[in-house]
Amino acid sequence: MARIELKHVGHAYNRIDGTPRYALYPLDLAWEDGGTYALLGPSGCGKTTMLNIVSGLLTPSQGQVLIDGRDVTGIPAARRNIAQVFQFPVVYPSKSVYENLAFPLRCRNMPGREIDRRVNEIAELLNLDAILQRPARKLTPDAKQLISLGRGLVRDDVAVILMDEPLTVIDPQLKFHLRRKLKDISARHGHTLVYVTHDQNEAMTLAEQVIVMDNGHVVQVGTPQDLFENPAHTHVGYFIGSPSMNFLPCVVVDGEIRCFDQPVARTKVRTDALGANLTLGIRPEFVDIVAPDGAGSLAGRVADTQDLGAFSIVTVMVAEGWPVRAKVRHAPVAPNAEVGLRLSPDWIRLFADGALVSGGAISAM
Amino acid sequence: MRAFYLLLKVAAILVWSAFVIAPFLWALTTSFKTANGVTGGPTYIPWVDYQPSLAAWQGLFGSGAGSIDIVGPFISSVMVTLSASLVSLVLGTLAAYGLSRFSYKAGPVGNSDLTFFFVSQRIMPPVVLAIPFFLMLGWLGLLDTVLGLIIVYVALLLPIAVWVMVDFFNTIPKELDETAMIDGCTPIEAFWRVILPNAVPGLVVAGIFCIIFGWNDFFFAFTLTFTQTQLLPVAIVSLNSSVTPWWSLSASALISVTPLIVVAFLVERYLDKGSIGGRK
Repeated sequence: MARIELKHVGHAYNRIDGTPRYALYPLDLAWEDGGTYALLGPSGCGKTTMLNIVSGLLTPSQGQVLIDGRDVTGIPAARRNIAQVFQFPVVYPSKSVYENLAFPLRCRNMPGREIDRRVNEIAELLNLDAILQRPARKLTPDAKQLISLGRGLVRDDVAVILMDEPLTVIDPQLKFHLRRKLKDISARHGHTLVYVTHDQNEAMTLAEQVIVMDNGHVVQVGTPQDLFENPAHTHVGYFIGSPSMNFLPCVVVDGEIRCFDQPVARTKVRTDALGANLTLGIRPEFVDIVAPDGAGSLAGRVADTQDLGAFSIVTVMVAEGWPVRAKVRHAPVAPNAEVGLRLSPDWIRLFADGALVSGGAISAM
Repeated sequence: MRAFYLLLKVAAILVWSAFVIAPFLWALTTSFKTANGVTGGPTYIPWVDYQPSLAAWQGLFGSGAGSIDIVGPFISSVMVTLSASLVSLVLGTLAAYGLSRFSYKAGPVGNSDLTFFFVSQRIMPPVVLAIPFFLMLGWLGLLDTVLGLIIVYVALLLPIAVWVMVDFFNTIPKELDETAMIDGCTPIEAFWRVILPNAVPGLVVAGIFCIIFGWNDFFFAFTLTFTQTQLLPVAIVSLNSSVTPWWSLSASALISVTPLIVVAFLVERYLDKGSIGGRK
């Protein structure tokens, strides 16, 4: 259990012409003791690079990694006391399940009786006790993944458990089960847990804090609620939420937010300092379908309705090439009907050049 | 339909077995014949077609005229082959692990070039190496010694071991090493405690290749020894004279091939489990 701190850590590979190509741009980040964190982002955004830097498999080209205040940047993985679960289950194929779980303790020359006690304890926790003597290579992927996890848990002083998309190769049904189990175990043991995923649901269910990454940058760190309500960047709004946030070009004239020359809300935000490229963002959850020509509503034409049972997703074209999706309880709208869209003013967010504009209350017309 | 395929399978196996075993049977019967039994027309059944004789076998262990002592060369051959194979296997496995797991770079020279350098040692015909080896062993005073032959054979067998093991290690995922290191192993421990136990099928294959090539080499055993040291292939060839002694050649060939057959039976189960191509 430990606090992990990344101080100005970045990693670059040198291109042939000598200029650096950053897999991870320099950043500062802290993971508190006992917290659960998710690293969320599309493939190739630097999540795994960051994880490997923390575990010590990769030495960052710049910056420092601190574990409980101690600089471990130059210390090899073996002496960092970290557990890492990889995307593809890794077990030691030549060993039994028992020996797999015992291996980290054997590496630390722990006495046999103590090893036995801990292995049995962890096996019970993970429901592996029935198959302890089986050869590990013959197990199913989910059992193997549990063993990988068990090798981390068996050291009760492990600093942090890192998981690199551990559920990718697991059956969807088992995935749900394993996810619950992970959350349960991490809550019970108070391990610091860092979970890499590109699946927002996984990130949201498991983590208290989600770190959203894009293109080697950390775009936002926050609770799932933060990310949903106040995405720091249009990337986050786009990446988090299903369907993703709606974005429309807008202008602010005399305190009025106007999209396609139609006023949608009032704001006190000072726009003169924001630059020209202003975008309005709103979650589909906060878009209502109203009668056309209602005051302060945005006129459009229904393009598509998806009935998902509990709710419907209605896609409305407000201008050529600009769809707005609304997530509504009922969709009493005919295809191609002219409708009005009321954007709930509390949930309208303004983005200047992609970044969230803070301050400046937004109110109804 | 299934019965038909079974029949086909059995037939194929029988044909192949006959193809493989027939020469051995031929050598076996020949080794019990006398000159008359070999040259006096085709004979097959002992005591009926020809009178079996132990003369050829006795000649290999005896000290009489026209006979040699095959035990000495046999022991020398075992020593040279096993020592050279063992050294090659140890060095080759370590080298292969390095080539498989770490990147080496010296200017434009990288890992694959190093691997090719090892393998390329076997591309040139052995005769190219004969004179350098002869001179070098001469300087070291190791000509006509078992130790000298071991050194030369290591040079011949090491490329095989490296080649087989690099391929094999490449089939073992790198995550296994990484996990071992995260679990608390130093890189050496990770190799020793995790990777090596998984490399047994590869080691067996490499070992078999080393033993076969080492055991069968005639060229260097012939050019680098004179009187003091003699390996089995050279001893067998030296049986030849103006009249080819087919009977003692057959007997000595059987003696020579026996160790390989024993090795094959011993390691067969490992091959079965691991398959020659490695763990795919």
